[in-house]
Amino acid sequence: MTYFLDLFLSGLTRGSIYALIALGYTMVYGIIALINFAHGEIYMIGAFTALLASMVLGSLGLTGWGLLLSVAVIAAIYSGMYGWTVERIAYRPLRGASRLAPLISAIGMSFFLQNYVQLAQTSNFVLFPDLVPQMPFLKPISAYLNRTQVIILLFTSVSMVGLTLFIKFTKIGMAMRAVAQDMTMARLSGVNIDRVISVTFIIGSVLAALGGVLIGCSMRQIYFYMGFLAGMKAFTAAVLGGIGSIPGAVIGALILGFAESFAAGYISSSYRDVVAFIILIIILIFRPEGIMGQAQTQKV
Amino acid sequence: MTKTMLELKGVRTAYGNIEALKGVDLHINEGEIIALLGANGAGKTTTLASITGLVPPKSGTITFEGEDIRGARTENLVKKGLIMVPEGRHIFPGLTVLENLKMGAYVLKDQSGIKKDLEYIFNLFPILATRSKQSGGTLSGGEQQMLAISRSLMGKPRMLLLDEPSLGLAPIVIRDIFDTIRKINTENGTTILLVEQNANLALMLAHRAYIMTTGLITLSGTASEFLNDENVRKAYLGG
Repeated sequence: MTYFLDLFLSGLTRGSIYALIALGYTMVYGIIALINFAHGEIYMIGAFTALLASMVLGSLGLTGWGLLLSVAVIAAIYSGMYGWTVERIAYRPLRGASRLAPLISAIGMSFFLQNYVQLAQTSNFVLFPDLVPQMPFLKPISAYLNRTQVIILLFTSVSMVGLTLFIKFTKIGMAMRAVAQDMTMARLSGVNIDRVISVTFIIGSVLAALGGVLIGCSMRQIYFYMGFLAGMKAFTAAVLGGIGSIPGAVIGALILGFAESFAAGYISSSYRDVVAFIILIIILIFRPEGIMGQAQTQKV
Repeated sequence: MTKTMLELKGVRTAYGNIEALKGVDLHINEGEIIALLGANGAGKTTTLASITGLVPPKSGTITFEGEDIRGARTENLVKKGLIMVPEGRHIFPGLTVLENLKMGAYVLKDQSGIKKDLEYIFNLFPILATRSKQSGGTLSGGEQQMLAISRSLMGKPRMLLLDEPSLGLAPIVIRDIFDTIRKINTENGTTILLVEQNANLALMLAHRAYIMTTGLITLSGTASEFLNDENVRKAYLGG
């Protein structure tokens, strides 16, 4: 039973991190029907920014919760700026082009960012500091739940509630939904589409960066190529849930996290990725629109 | 002395290599209702899209209240009070009726004014008040058209561009919609450019009309002239 609970919690935390990344894919797709292949790189940049920020702030004497939260905020802001810039440079100039052009531009951007971090930082695995504060109150249940898992669940649930409230109750959130549903009418209502798209990229990047910080805390090492596989997994999660659907991305990510965790625990850890992609293939065959997605007719 | 509100001179608009407007000239005075008539593919919708900046024209001039607006961004024109209700209503299906109305006031900042306008709309169309929490996609066609027109009113239009407001609606609903359009014109003094397949109906409402054929204005005159003109009746009004 303990073993099952272990796998369950590791699946839940893994799925939560996928969800943070998957939200960026699904929100961008929902608005401009683009698969932003550079999104995994933003997550990687979030992790690297967190590492650098923790070194600087740590040497200034910051510790505990203060260190973790300020590192997360810095990583989020810096990656948000990256997300905004990527959209401005790589996608906005191609707004009127065929759908293939921004897709290729996205792949190019992904390679560029990977290689840039590899050159500017290192091509080796680097150690990520232990940023998670001690939690004495966990002592009685420490056999089941560790402090890193608490942080992951805390960060992801707060971000998801925050995102939901933002989209539901703010004016720009309403505009985001309007643009996703009918871009022409949103323009005719006076919405500045470019601004909404920028906000979408920034929010997606902030969430991905938080994912990067959390994965650093839990794996304790990061790598310039880490965004590729994580990005693929999160993309799988978004497709699984129905790309364009926000709750879908979260559900898809959790399913993927559990599937991977149980596959690794009951079959073999080398089957983790195999199971993830088998799920993707099965979904694409039997329910191409995903769990929460609606079958859509091609817009003319 | 009548004041010209909107004027198009030699407007040419193309989709790729296909020229949809080949030099359109028309003008609309403040407070008028103008009908823009013509067969399918004559360029009526493209004319509206050119005015609102959805499809920027290649050449020509468009002036709105004395200001050159050719190539201006759509959202800036909405701020100036040039508001379009597109063909097919374009209700945001996943937004509630209330949110749809709020989207109409997106460019406005005066919250108490928006509140007052909402009350006005709910008085005008009580059905929208009862359905305010429903998502827009669940409304019937007639209700959606009411919502579309109400949404455009929320933006405090100086001028409304209506594209086929009667399309796909039952005759009794069409009469309601046209009564509302007349009311908007007489009570609020809103200038209206009406694109309509149903020429008879449009001419009953309009002060003047233009007829388009293949990207050009081919005929213009007052509505009563058109209704009494034998040739126009034969060609456009079904005898």
